[in-house]
Amino acid sequence: MAMDVVDYEIFGNEMQYVEVELDPGEAAIGEAGVMMYMQDGIQMDTIFGDGSAQQGGFFGKLMGAGKRLLTGESLFTTVYHNEGRGKRRVAFAAPYPGKIVPVDLSTVGGTLICQKDSFLAAAKGVSLGIAFQKKIGVGLFGGEGFIMQKLDGDGMAFIHAGGTLMEKTLAPGETLRVDTGCVVAFQPSVDFDIQYAGKIKTALFGGEGLFFATLSGPGKVWLQSLPLSRMADRIVMASRAAGGGGKESGSVLGGIGLGSLLGDDE
Amino acid sequence: MSAAPASTATSPPIPARYYPAGGDAHGHAARLSWQDGALHVTVDDLPALTVSAARLRVEARGFNHSQWALNWAGDGHDAPHLLIVDDAVAAPLRAVMPGHFTGGDRQRRGSRHRFGLGVGLLVLLPLLFVAALLLSLDPLTDRVVSHIPPEVERHIGEAVLARTRLEGPLIEAGPAHEALQTIGRRLARPDEALQFHLAERPEINAFAAPGGVVVVNSGLMARAASAEEVAGVLAHEIAHVELRHSLRQIVRSAGLRVIVAALFGDFGALGGGAAQMGELKFSRDAEREADRRALERLAEARIAPHGLLDFFRTLSSLEGGQGTLPALFSTHPANAERIAWIESALARQAPTTVQPLGINWSSIRQIADNASQEKGTRNPKE
Repeated sequence: MAMDVVDYEIFGNEMQYVEVELDPGEAAIGEAGVMMYMQDGIQMDTIFGDGSAQQGGFFGKLMGAGKRLLTGESLFTTVYHNEGRGKRRVAFAAPYPGKIVPVDLSTVGGTLICQKDSFLAAAKGVSLGIAFQKKIGVGLFGGEGFIMQKLDGDGMAFIHAGGTLMEKTLAPGETLRVDTGCVVAFQPSVDFDIQYAGKIKTALFGGEGLFFATLSGPGKVWLQSLPLSRMADRIVMASRAAGGGGKESGSVLGGIGLGSLLGDDE
Repeated sequence: MSAAPASTATSPPIPARYYPAGGDAHGHAARLSWQDGALHVTVDDLPALTVSAARLRVEARGFNHSQWALNWAGDGHDAPHLLIVDDAVAAPLRAVMPGHFTGGDRQRRGSRHRFGLGVGLLVLLPLLFVAALLLSLDPLTDRVVSHIPPEVERHIGEAVLARTRLEGPLIEAGPAHEALQTIGRRLARPDEALQFHLAERPEINAFAAPGGVVVVNSGLMARAASAEEVAGVLAHEIAHVELRHSLRQIVRSAGLRVIVAALFGDFGALGGGAAQMGELKFSRDAEREADRRALERLAEARIAPHGLLDFFRTLSSLEGGQGTLPALFSTHPANAERIAWIESALARQAPTTVQPLGINWSSIRQIADNASQEKGTRNPKE
């Protein structure tokens, strides 16, 4: 599979963007709506599906688009093509606070399973597929749902994680228990499962839910410290408009308002 | 550092990841080939390995069992040596040692079956639950209705009456009112507390509310050809009261609303409950039962039972002639069918002696007609 090799640079700390350098004739694909800026000479083209070489005919494209619909993304992908004579740059910005993870798919064996919605941009030729979680329990309680995204190819891909990123290579048999919702991506050789938290008291009052997600090696995993849903919950909780206990300045009760008394972690 | 000679490989080398026992977490990129009943593992920075098929154990693992783990005992280590091969490239290995892969295939099939079963259950269980609820709606309604005390029924009746008053005035005196009361008194049994009300509305309609409340529109009085026809309608409505049809319907629709709300979220806006009494629909069976009881009651009151039949005939002639379909019919069984079953019931009924109602119907009709007309012009039908 011929992938375009792209050079990139990531800017920013907590709200990042990635600048991708395209040689003449090279192209990158970006999730709809994440492009931040591009230089002269870069042509933007919206295509149906994900623009990977595997999608031959009309039905292939339709399938690709259908899969994108399932993962909750737009039917179209935007391709940024360098039509100029020199190197040109295009930047993609992360949609919420967190880190951009550059992954060279060739170093992880060509396939990466990631949380849906986490895809940001990639070299043209990387195919975006769906990986349907076939373990019912994991789909229901694993925090990532039944539909995950599968990136195939051997070029660079940029995925996005909330909060701070943790990247770990698990040795064979090494298991990590993770709060549900914190799994961003993993290699397909990693077993993704759930484990009952064990104690009803912990489950009810510990704020961690009934299950942990477990990841066991060998393979590389990426975890995020702050799933967007958790941040969104906190924002809604704090919002006056949404009926939360919004306070502009500290009250007598301070942080132990109604919101945090009733609030759960997830 | 010796790579397996290309000539001895049975197929192009298969890419894999090699995790030696006691090695680090990252593992090594490796290439596999098969020769003479043994697996040859070529790793860039390590000496080549040969593992006989007998020592190899194979299992499915990873995301959706999409990978194969090939283990063999680690020399001196607790953990075994491990090779991870993607299923997409594992076909040549499966071909040379099919026996090794059967266990993993069983695992994968099992997980597929469990997934199908799980999805099926996830979809089916709510459907089954709803089906069970719908099936048990009638028996549940019966149970609930049998526990509703008469006072509650009376309260509902009063509420319905109050609402009817809001929609339009009731005629509470005068010859038409008197005539209705006369017919009602003839029909009521001594122990029954029934109230008959005449509403000033042009539609041909009558309805029964819980608690013995029967409301007849002046439009119906105006179109009925004789007092016996009105008696037939009243008897039918009394039968609905007697059989507690309205109450059943209220309970039933409340139950349905609960089910619908549970399924689709809050449908509170659809509510209204007892308020929509006038528009309540009874089932075909309920109507037939009410007709049967009405004929019995008419015979018991010594009123010509043909009145009911005549009324429906009058209605079907009106239905053919005028544009507005009588409201009574929009919710009721087809008229012709109904006439047919009343005819057959009448034929079976023993003849009874009849006492005329003794009402000068043409004058009552005139009065009722005037009332409906006035109402009709003053406040056109919604």
